[in-house]
Amino acid sequence: MLLIHCPYCKESRDQSEFSPAGEAFIARPKSPEGISDEEWADYVFYRTNHKGNHWEQWVHSNGCRKYFLVERSTISHQILQVAPFGARNSETEL
Amino acid sequence: MRLAQHPSHQVDYSKSLNFIFNNKRYKGYEGDTLASALLANDALLFTRSFKYGRKRGLIAAGVEEPNALVSLEIGGRYTPNLKATEIMLYDGLSAVSASNPNAFDIRAFIKPLHRFMPAGFYYKTFIKQKVWAKVEDSIRAFSGFSKAPTEEDVDVYDHIFHHAEVVVIGGGAAGISAALEVLNNSKKERVILVDERTQLGGELFNEFSSDEAAMTWHKDSVNRLLSFANEDSERFTLLTQSTAYAWHDQNYIEVLETITTAESLTSSEPQKARKIIHRIRAKEVILATGAHERPMLFEANDLTNIMLSQSVRRYLHEYGVISGKKVVIYGNNDSIYSTARDLHVNDIECIVVDVRSSEDPIEIVAELKHSGVKVLQGYSIVKALGSHRVKGVEIVQTKLQGNDWQVFGDTQTLSCDLLATSGGFNPVVHLDCHNGAKTYFDEVSQSFLPQQERDNREVCGAVAGASAWQDAINDGKNKAQFTLNALGTVSKLTQEILSENYSNYFNVSQFFTPKEILNKPKVFLDLQNDVTTLDVALSIREGYRSIEHIKRYTAMGFGTDQGKTGNINGIAVAAELMGIPMSEVGTTTFRPAYTGVDFGAMAGREIGDFFDPQRYTTIHDSHVASGAEFEVVGQWYRPWYYPKTGENIHQAVYRECLAVRTSLGMMDASTLGKIDVQGSDAREFLSRIYTNAWMKLAPGSCRYGLMCNEKGMIIDDGVSTCINDNHFIMTTTTGGAASVYSALEMWLQTEWSDLDVHLNSVTDQYSTVAVVGPNARKLVKLLCQDVDFERENFKFMQWRPGTVCGVDARIMRISFSGELAYEINVEANYGRYIWDQVAIAGEKWNITPYGTESMHVLRAEKGYIIVGQDTDGSMTPMDVNMSWILAKDKPFSYVGRRSFSISALCAEDRLQLVGLLTKDSSTVLPEGAHVIDNKGKSIGYVTSSYFSPILDRSIAMAQIQGGLAKMDETVLVKIVQKKQGLKEIPCEISSSVFYDIEGEKVDGND
Repeated sequence: MLLIHCPYCKESRDQSEFSPAGEAFIARPKSPEGISDEEWADYVFYRTNHKGNHWEQWVHSNGCRKYFLVERSTISHQILQVAPFGARNSETEL
Repeated sequence: MRLAQHPSHQVDYSKSLNFIFNNKRYKGYEGDTLASALLANDALLFTRSFKYGRKRGLIAAGVEEPNALVSLEIGGRYTPNLKATEIMLYDGLSAVSASNPNAFDIRAFIKPLHRFMPAGFYYKTFIKQKVWAKVEDSIRAFSGFSKAPTEEDVDVYDHIFHHAEVVVIGGGAAGISAALEVLNNSKKERVILVDERTQLGGELFNEFSSDEAAMTWHKDSVNRLLSFANEDSERFTLLTQSTAYAWHDQNYIEVLETITTAESLTSSEPQKARKIIHRIRAKEVILATGAHERPMLFEANDLTNIMLSQSVRRYLHEYGVISGKKVVIYGNNDSIYSTARDLHVNDIECIVVDVRSSEDPIEIVAELKHSGVKVLQGYSIVKALGSHRVKGVEIVQTKLQGNDWQVFGDTQTLSCDLLATSGGFNPVVHLDCHNGAKTYFDEVSQSFLPQQERDNREVCGAVAGASAWQDAINDGKNKAQFTLNALGTVSKLTQEILSENYSNYFNVSQFFTPKEILNKPKVFLDLQNDVTTLDVALSIREGYRSIEHIKRYTAMGFGTDQGKTGNINGIAVAAELMGIPMSEVGTTTFRPAYTGVDFGAMAGREIGDFFDPQRYTTIHDSHVASGAEFEVVGQWYRPWYYPKTGENIHQAVYRECLAVRTSLGMMDASTLGKIDVQGSDAREFLSRIYTNAWMKLAPGSCRYGLMCNEKGMIIDDGVSTCINDNHFIMTTTTGGAASVYSALEMWLQTEWSDLDVHLNSVTDQYSTVAVVGPNARKLVKLLCQDVDFERENFKFMQWRPGTVCGVDARIMRISFSGELAYEINVEANYGRYIWDQVAIAGEKWNITPYGTESMHVLRAEKGYIIVGQDTDGSMTPMDVNMSWILAKDKPFSYVGRRSFSISALCAEDRLQLVGLLTKDSSTVLPEGAHVIDNKGKSIGYVTSSYFSPILDRSIAMAQIQGGLAKMDETVLVKIVQKKQGLKEIPCEISSSVFYDIEGEKVDGND
């Protein structure tokens, strides 16, 4: 059970208030009809699932119902930072 | 036997308690455990072992005890498989052995066969020979420990959440010292001290009689802690009789507190919680979890009254109890001499057998010898004598040559009635490892020690390798200073760090594992699961090398004690047999929970009515008054059917369905999910998430929509209503409301934040009464005068605002049955009023309330799908024959569209939804039954199946491979009948629309 800081409520709350919502920075292709099956499959199915610090989406489902970004270590489950949506659009962007 | 009173005893001799064990009455004192009280009564037999049914007694005094499993209390308070060493005695306690040692036992009866039953016996004999199914019940009947409870638990359990800066786990010398140091040197920091026993002090009580300083320090320190707990309870919480059983990520610690007072257990009206789970979030953790002693290995080491040396000391000092008059103390380290000294002081005859030779004479040995205690150095015990209780031991001479133990000389016999052994100490690293830490093997202490440096945690005392109590106290202080430093509470260490080097107090020799002993039978490693050295040898011979595999092959460490006394010896044996160092073998993985946790405690208060929310529509009381039976759908209690007197479900559904088709029915549709969609881009939003067109839907109209996910699979369906260009009300399935709402929010917040759309769940805000049947128009005309209901003015799939019985309403002409139907939506509080008014006004048409079962029949007659019943998350719109709902010319590629062109989704042999008509029209297929081809291979399954009253025959829908191209073909459905067995039912594939194929009924007949 993690303690997660909601950047909208500005409070650290128990994980049971939140739901995970997958890897962050997976943008929907602008023109789905214009790309190959492989590219579409990459967007729909394939995720990095890497070991280490990982950006993902969480939603404060039993709270403010806002989606936000979380950088979490998949090794220690330590949460390194959280950010509201739109604050960044990729792992490297500051 | 109980000794004369002494200040070190933690029992209150003025408070005598009565209790019953295995149907015999005994007396004990307040402060006793069930184990100590029985030992004081010379009741040594506790249980039978798991596999061989051997009679066993206590070996330990605490959580590590493998044998003394009991079932506590009866009826609603019955608790199986508790350790007698952990049950605090209370007046009136009643317990029985988990496996009765005094009754006839078939496992013990077949003793001559035991040597043919090594590890893997049951697998090789029964499972591999494929007869397990026949013999399983009879084998299971005589194995195992306590019987499972049969009655509902009458007790109350609680959960409490804590936040703390520092949590100290373990209340022995090190833990007490660390907690005090933090409290003394900080002002605001919240501290929690957790200890599994009722009295703080750990193993310190053992030192009281030999060292007055230990007693003084203990008394003084515990008093200071208690005054912190009383005077500054905001800052300091003391949890005794509380076991920290799990340490998770982010320093999240779970603690089980047991409250055993006679009052809490014998009161007929439970009020207070019997057990509490404390969930603690800590910034810093100090582990002072101590160490468990491990036994020495020799033949027949499981006889009764062979105990751990420090446990003998603890019974002696803490409870004033000893279970023998003539004691042999045997071990490989100096702690055995402390036991000998304490026994000798109490005038108990003892002999010390030390496997180590006397190369380094130590002071205490000379003292003991001087006072007349026999000390045999360089001797080992090879066998314990006796049938059940130990009567003596066989010893031989022993010498360590290089790294190998040599055993030589003649066998001598010593008689005794209690054997105390010590093979060294295993630091309790379990919790540290729960949280991902590794251990390393330390040659000096011959033990696995915790990884030294970790963020936000310190280890101190015996778990860190300290053995002398003075070392533990200093260590606690030091580590508390580090913790304060980490918290930033002190800028520099406030006092000098005390000596960090522990004195090598015990001089533990390497594991005593000569071949002469390992090759003997009945050298038990895991007493609870009856794992011997021969079992480990066998698993290695059969090719297992990893200790994890050896554990699983032999079941070593699988018991309720989780191998706390036996595992490390097992690792040493494996290392010896494989000829590799201990460090290379390593330990098995330590996982939560450290000790057993009651299911009741895990559930806490979330049982019965509090297990899951129950949702009722505002019309519920009217349904109850009409005698409805209910079914739970997405937490909603929906009317299932409304039986009249004497009707069963089939008769009620038959009547309800015919009423709807021939005259008038009414249904509570309030539970459908309703999402209010507003904003200037609401129309565009619907257009993106539904597969069909929405741009031209006029205010005053409604439209059915099918929702897919990006994989192209159907996730929901429902009707959305256009209130105005910027305002729609979407309905979802009852069960899918929450997940659809969440998915829509995700699109808006994470992908389409540029859209001006706002969503709100309004499911609970409206009540919906559906009026359904050919007479529906006549009825709504009676109840509502300000709406023009004429069929050409208020068409199917339109809605009108109006006033129904004086209440503002939105009336929608939509239908899930194919009949003329109006859904009257009002503010939720008016729901029951409207329902009752409709029921009264409808009497002249014999209006019939119907539930979800009839709704399902009616929709199936029309071939309408139910998402989640006729689809399963792998169905596309094409698969359910709904290609007509896929818009071709929407500019935005709506959710799921791109996936429709992926080859796998266009394959001809995909499961497709079709109708299925049994050749014998009275046979109703079971839902889920397989459809098979002429070779008997499954080609699909039945998703919906009912008897249709209006058609007077059975109807079904099925997912069949390439089904849409197989119209009118005959297939077989395989079903299992209770008496007749397997049966194949011939059916014809048909359209899934069975009734009113032309759709003429939807306008009614007036």
